[in-house]
Amino acid sequence: MATYIIRRLLGLIPTLFVITVIGFLMMHAMPGNAFEALVFNPKIKNGAALYHRLLAQNGLDQSLPVQYIHWIGNILQGNFGISYNYQQPVSQLIGTYLPNTLLLAVTAEILILIISIPIGLYQARKVNGPFDVSFSFIAVLLYSIPGFVFALFLLFIFSFSLGWLPSQGTISASGANAGSFLDHLQHLLLPALALALPSLAGYTRLTRGYTLQIIVADFVRTAKAKGLGSKRIMFRHIFRNAIIPLVTQFGFDIGGLFGGAILIEQIFTWPGMGELSLNATLNRDYPLILATTLLFAVMVLIGNLIADILLAASDPRIRLN
Amino acid sequence: MSEPLLKVKNLKTYFTSRHSQVKAVDGVDFVVGKGRVLGIVGESGSGKSMTSLSIMGLVPGPQGKIVEGEILLEDMDLVKLSDKQMENVRGNLVSMIFQEPMTALNPVLTIGEQISEMLIKHRSMRKSEAMAKAIEMLRSVGFARAEQIVKEYPHQLSGGMRQRAMIAMAMSCEPKLLIADEPTTALDVTIQAQVLELMKDLRDRTGTSVVLITHDLGVIAEMADDMIVMYGGQVVESGTADDVFEVTLHPYTKALLASIPVIDEERDRLYAIPGTVPSAANFPVGCRFADRCSLVETRCRETMPELQEVRTGHWVRCHLVTK
Repeated sequence: MATYIIRRLLGLIPTLFVITVIGFLMMHAMPGNAFEALVFNPKIKNGAALYHRLLAQNGLDQSLPVQYIHWIGNILQGNFGISYNYQQPVSQLIGTYLPNTLLLAVTAEILILIISIPIGLYQARKVNGPFDVSFSFIAVLLYSIPGFVFALFLLFIFSFSLGWLPSQGTISASGANAGSFLDHLQHLLLPALALALPSLAGYTRLTRGYTLQIIVADFVRTAKAKGLGSKRIMFRHIFRNAIIPLVTQFGFDIGGLFGGAILIEQIFTWPGMGELSLNATLNRDYPLILATTLLFAVMVLIGNLIADILLAASDPRIRLN
Repeated sequence: MSEPLLKVKNLKTYFTSRHSQVKAVDGVDFVVGKGRVLGIVGESGSGKSMTSLSIMGLVPGPQGKIVEGEILLEDMDLVKLSDKQMENVRGNLVSMIFQEPMTALNPVLTIGEQISEMLIKHRSMRKSEAMAKAIEMLRSVGFARAEQIVKEYPHQLSGGMRQRAMIAMAMSCEPKLLIADEPTTALDVTIQAQVLELMKDLRDRTGTSVVLITHDLGVIAEMADDMIVMYGGQVVESGTADDVFEVTLHPYTKALLASIPVIDEERDRLYAIPGTVPSAANFPVGCRFADRCSLVETRCRETMPELQEVRTGHWVRCHLVTK
């Protein structure tokens, strides 16, 4: 298992290399750069000279291959550069913003799993019953609506109409319980829910579908013929098999959740990677664009790696071949 | 005949939907003696598998249901037991092995886990005890390296090994009755012989009664003490295997025997019974074999023949066969 993981990790290196090249080229293909505006700023005397000085200072006057090699060389030494816009080291910025996004994404992941799997299993157990039919309808409805639409609905209902939950930020600026655990939780709930809802609905469908496929398998009949109780058959024999495609899908979706978080973070003014990468792109903040792009790519690759590991862990047919 | 272990009386298992009623098993009677092997032969759709699932209480619901009859295991009527009570019968008093060893074992659990979970349930063993017993069972079905096999997964075993593991599992709680539904159909011919030999050997050692379901008359001749021939959800001929093979009486059984190729006889075409099994949703009023029978008469189409004892212990359902 350990060698398997190491082999998979080494396999990620070429993929990452290609991603850096594409990211780098696409970034430079965008018109303009971070300093061009200075030239046209009437308040700055001799803007053009300043502009050229800044370009030279940041190495932007060199050819693209030289810039790329310079950047990669720095990254390999752990130096992601300094953000033009924030005037702070990029690694420090990511260190501040990434935990917020991780918190949001992990909470959403947990919500998805603990809500959708029991619902899907129950639907499969009472297939075509009233709960199954009505929840199938609800699930398709939820699945068809994008997360940012939910975000707006949730904000309207729970923040503006009912006033139960805050509409923005990660903690309250003032108040009796500002900064407490409960305060954090209240701020987290709506964005996490908005992020989780469409996937959550999708996962109930997947859980239900995979479980129904397994319920009719021959080995389930064998388990019944052995006189096992229905709970043991459900969890040990049916669910243990149905979970295999589910965890794989889950791993693949981890990267997607990070991408989805960008929009949700904007709506809830949640200071996470979404805000950071969007600002970086709008300001042509090259070091920050490259670092955030790389980070998103790494998240997707880690998700795929987790999918592979979970698949191998849950299916001996994969693990032992 | 030895003392009876299982008596099936007038068993009727129907599948009812809004539009139709499928009479999969339609009034079947038979007895399995203690330590005897009963062979059940019939074509696909004759109701032989559904008969065995009825005994196990595993008729696929909610459409499928035992609508009439008794299944007496010693003095206990299995039809009347609750689901919970049936759990204690299945795998414990009556166990079953299936046709497809490739799919009948759970792919994500080790062989050891799959055998020991039965022992934990029915014998209240601790995990380690159950695992030791699983190793012992595997050894008794001919696995030399049973200690490793318990840790292996089904996909690591060949078809024949899986079927032997299934048999070890089915025998682990020392059941009174073993039902084997086409246990050798999916196996190579050489492996078939090994598995049949193993089942015979186990029967001799443990005295377990066996119900062997097959469409292969060769397997019956090899294994069975008694046999019943099923057609259209009914028994059409029953008796000791020797009697039925020596003095075959029912036209259907005769036709089945005639369709076995004989090695030292040259034939251009193999004999096949013309036509197909009638639909169980829509049986004719008279004899169910009438449409395919070469000896059919008018009365065959008008009234259903009764199952009659024509010779001692030899029963036949045919108008043309009488004492």
